[in-house]
Amino acid sequence: MIPMENFLLLSAVLFAIGFYGVLARRSAILILISVELMLAGVAINFVTFATYLDSQAFSGAIFALFVITVAAAEVGLALGIVLRIFRERQTANVDEVDTLKW
Amino acid sequence: MRDILGHSLNFQYELLLPEIIIAITATLVVGADAFRNELRLGRRILPWLSVIGLVAALVVSLLWIDTQRNFARLITIDNYTTFFRVLFTATAIVVIVGSHEYVERHIGHIGEFYALILLSTVGAIYMAAARDLLTAYVAIEVLSFSLYVAVSLARNDPRSGEAALKYTLLGGVASAMLLYGLSLLYGVAGSTQYTEISGALAAGTGGMTLPLILGLVLIVAGLGFKASAVPFHMYTPDAYEGAPLPITAYISATSKAAVLALFLRWFSGPLLPALPDWQWMVALIAVLTMGLGNLVALQQRNIKRLLAYSSIGQVGYMLMAITTVSVVSASALLLHIGGYLVTNLAVFMAVIAFYNRTGTEEISGFRGLAQTNPYLALVITAGMFSLGGMPLLAGFLTKFILFTAAADGGFLWLATFAVIMSTVSLYYYLQVIKQMYLYQPDGDARRWRLSPTGYLTTAVLLAGTVVLGVYATPLYTLADRATRVLFV
Repeated sequence: MIPMENFLLLSAVLFAIGFYGVLARRSAILILISVELMLAGVAINFVTFATYLDSQAFSGAIFALFVITVAAAEVGLALGIVLRIFRERQTANVDEVDTLKW
Repeated sequence: MRDILGHSLNFQYELLLPEIIIAITATLVVGADAFRNELRLGRRILPWLSVIGLVAALVVSLLWIDTQRNFARLITIDNYTTFFRVLFTATAIVVIVGSHEYVERHIGHIGEFYALILLSTVGAIYMAAARDLLTAYVAIEVLSFSLYVAVSLARNDPRSGEAALKYTLLGGVASAMLLYGLSLLYGVAGSTQYTEISGALAAGTGGMTLPLILGLVLIVAGLGFKASAVPFHMYTPDAYEGAPLPITAYISATSKAAVLALFLRWFSGPLLPALPDWQWMVALIAVLTMGLGNLVALQQRNIKRLLAYSSIGQVGYMLMAITTVSVVSASALLLHIGGYLVTNLAVFMAVIAFYNRTGTEEISGFRGLAQTNPYLALVITAGMFSLGGMPLLAGFLTKFILFTAAADGGFLWLATFAVIMSTVSLYYYLQVIKQMYLYQPDGDARRWRLSPTGYLTTAVLLAGTVVLGVYATPLYTLADRATRVLFV
């Protein structure tokens, strides 16, 4: 059997790449994709723990299903808001969306 | 019915009746809005319908006082849940009644506005009621998603979409961090049930301290974001300024209180055995939140941003009660949340009434309000003094009990810092009061009156602020009964 650490490492790397993307990317769409990467890491973590440590109740796998569903809803919602911003300002770059300050 | 591990599950849907009523009302509101022309409904039908649904839910939720039951091991119905059910439905009623004129003038999608307030109330209640991490997570997202959209509802205001974008993107990152923390907690404890997590953590984590601490850091960061605690507060002033005023009022009341309710449920229950691991984190963000929130508020020119930073400061005081978690500080926290909600809504309802008349959000726009509308000036003054903690008003008494509980819990330095920051906060509250009383009005100096609903909401909340300031025993008793069930 593959050791659990491998999966945990994969999920940690995915989460870290996603977090880096959130900090480094300036396009709202790319930031959204990065958030999705972070959530993918979370889902892998949940499934791993469910398989290795909680093989009876398996509640982590159910949690992962919810994470995936809610993430899909979140993308739909966020894209709607990005679309509105784009219609108003012809840009989805978060650095140019800066009317509100301090 | 039994689950796979042999626990008996009861699916008594009547336990969820208040939320079912609210959710059905939300659907009806959207439907009524969509077919308004065909059904020949007046515009006022939507707020009426929402308020009727909320009142029904509030009355029904009183059925379960002093019960201790759960729904399918996912949701607890106890005094703590009932306390927050009443608090959140009452808040939603106040916001809807106090803001219907504003909504008619400045909101593009009226049906969605009311429906989102109703749905987010459901999310807020389940944040306080959950007894499984999964339920808690879904409840957080129900509240957050409703608010992301609600923030963007202002018509003809580009700030609204921008605020919603910032709120949504940062909210998504915070949710991901919280979830990663929850997955680590699940890995350490082996279950998502509160009771079993607390049992597993109490039995010792078997050398898994590093994942536990990392998980706790991420959980505190994620929740800290949702509560807009420093250093995760960056989005708060923007979201507050860009959102329509009633939504700003609603976020500063329900969303804050719901996150604090969840904080208390987690940190007094499943996470209590790990107290030494998280106490310093919460104390740290409490200090930062109190300090930065109050200091940055000093230089604000816009009333929404001022109230945003003021609410950040208030969250700092509330986090102090989480740090010293005990029956005393928990009931002090619930009392303070109650007092803060009443006071803060009084200020916001007055500001909404003011905005309906003048259309300005600048603090300098309040010049001479004592001449043009002395009653409104009085409400804002009482609310500001109460937020700043002046005696004889709600804010003083609830803060006094909160700070005393923190000092008794062994965090005297934290309580001292809170007292100092509370004094600093008086300065910026007084700035607003100074504008109203010491200056002549710019331009139009005629007297004006509020609408009947404006009078109604502000008068009720003003009365609440004063009554809580002199006689808070009933609310304290309720808070005490609500928190006893957490520590058994």
